[in-house]
Amino acid sequence: MKYVDEYRSAQLGRVLAGEILAELEPGRHYKVMEVCGGHTHSIYKYGIGDLLPENVELVHGPGCPVCVIPMGRVDDGIAVALKDGVIFTCFGDMLRVPGSQYTLLDAKAQGADVRMVYSPLDALRIARENPDREVVFFAIGFETTAPSTALTLKRAKAEGIANFSCVCNHVTIVPPLRALLESPDLRLDGFIGPGHVCTVVGVRPFEFVPLDYGRPIVISGFEPLDILQSILMILRQLSEGRCEVENQYTRVVPTEGNVRALEVMADVFELRPHFEWRGLGFISQSALKLSERYREFDAEERFAVPGVRVADPKACQCGEVLKGVIKPWECKVFGTACTPEHAIGTCMVSPEGACAAYYNLGRFARDREAV
Amino acid sequence: MSASRRGRFQAGEDRCITCGDEAVAMRVTELRDGGALCEDDGGRMEVVALDLLDGVDVGATVLVHAGVAIGAPR
Repeated sequence: MKYVDEYRSAQLGRVLAGEILAELEPGRHYKVMEVCGGHTHSIYKYGIGDLLPENVELVHGPGCPVCVIPMGRVDDGIAVALKDGVIFTCFGDMLRVPGSQYTLLDAKAQGADVRMVYSPLDALRIARENPDREVVFFAIGFETTAPSTALTLKRAKAEGIANFSCVCNHVTIVPPLRALLESPDLRLDGFIGPGHVCTVVGVRPFEFVPLDYGRPIVISGFEPLDILQSILMILRQLSEGRCEVENQYTRVVPTEGNVRALEVMADVFELRPHFEWRGLGFISQSALKLSERYREFDAEERFAVPGVRVADPKACQCGEVLKGVIKPWECKVFGTACTPEHAIGTCMVSPEGACAAYYNLGRFARDREAV
Repeated sequence: MSASRRGRFQAGEDRCITCGDEAVAMRVTELRDGGALCEDDGGRMEVVALDLLDGVDVGATVLVHAGVAIGAPR
């Protein structure tokens, strides 16, 4: 399969693992963070950790859009979903994210009209087909997903679809990355950069990582050989004393990103002064809201939402997992009270969350090691 | 994302390509008003918005996320 088979060769994987071994400085422990949840999933799925030497540790970062949504925002969504006449639409994983009382799936069981959509354009179609109902889209995601919401809102405005609105929870990756780099309890040697975010924003927004913090970052694809090669490129930078942004995923990521997508986003969105991230707290200018030109489509303006900040459950250590301070299995409730079926924390909800990825794909290898 | 929406590209995987930072390579099979009919390597067809790309023609490969083509693999 083009773009797939050539990046899953076991033979080439072993060659890369050998090259990685050759780059290591004896006695040094390396910590590399993969920023993106898609990488976390691939790492567990393909057992990439097992191919790496013991002194190369992969740390899972905050790049799962479901995992970073705080409980208060989920409560706001549920409050809108429960209003009379509302059709509430969201991506599938969002349905199971716990709010302070219950999930959107629970709200659906109580009679709310909650529907899963694959694209915000599907939500707009539902609005067209139901002109007597208010259709709300609960938008989540990083810069990969934000263009699809922006395009949908542009179409809604052009077509004058007045019964469509959006709860905007789009976030941007650079501010939390900067917050992580400022965190004193985290020591990282390099970063695997988010390939598909960079398809949209390009490579330049990540130049601050080497320039301001002296850490290498390699923009990476999502196949196993992509990730292994990116780790090799990071280690090579370290052994050669270089520190820069490199693009491993050149077959997809242009240096300048997708200029058209960035223009559409700039028209539809503006930065929020602050946004709360689960486990990371409030981070300045880290999320998007609808711009003044699109204010009429802002569900937070159209409907009264509680807007109450809710503290994370005490037992849940999603914050530490998102910062890479602890591994998923080191959380007190991992795999006991908190499982993908009954998640307490958001990292257990999405398949890309570090806890769910480890629970579904990684724990068996660890069990074997323990025996 | 339901299993039925996945093509072979995603077969057996439990990844949600919709809400994750993940996108799927698809081939453009037919240009339509407001988008294009695209097919992934597993034969799954989907109408995709092409508004964010220039010069995409039948036969081209595009990177699709949440129903919108966001890039064109080289």
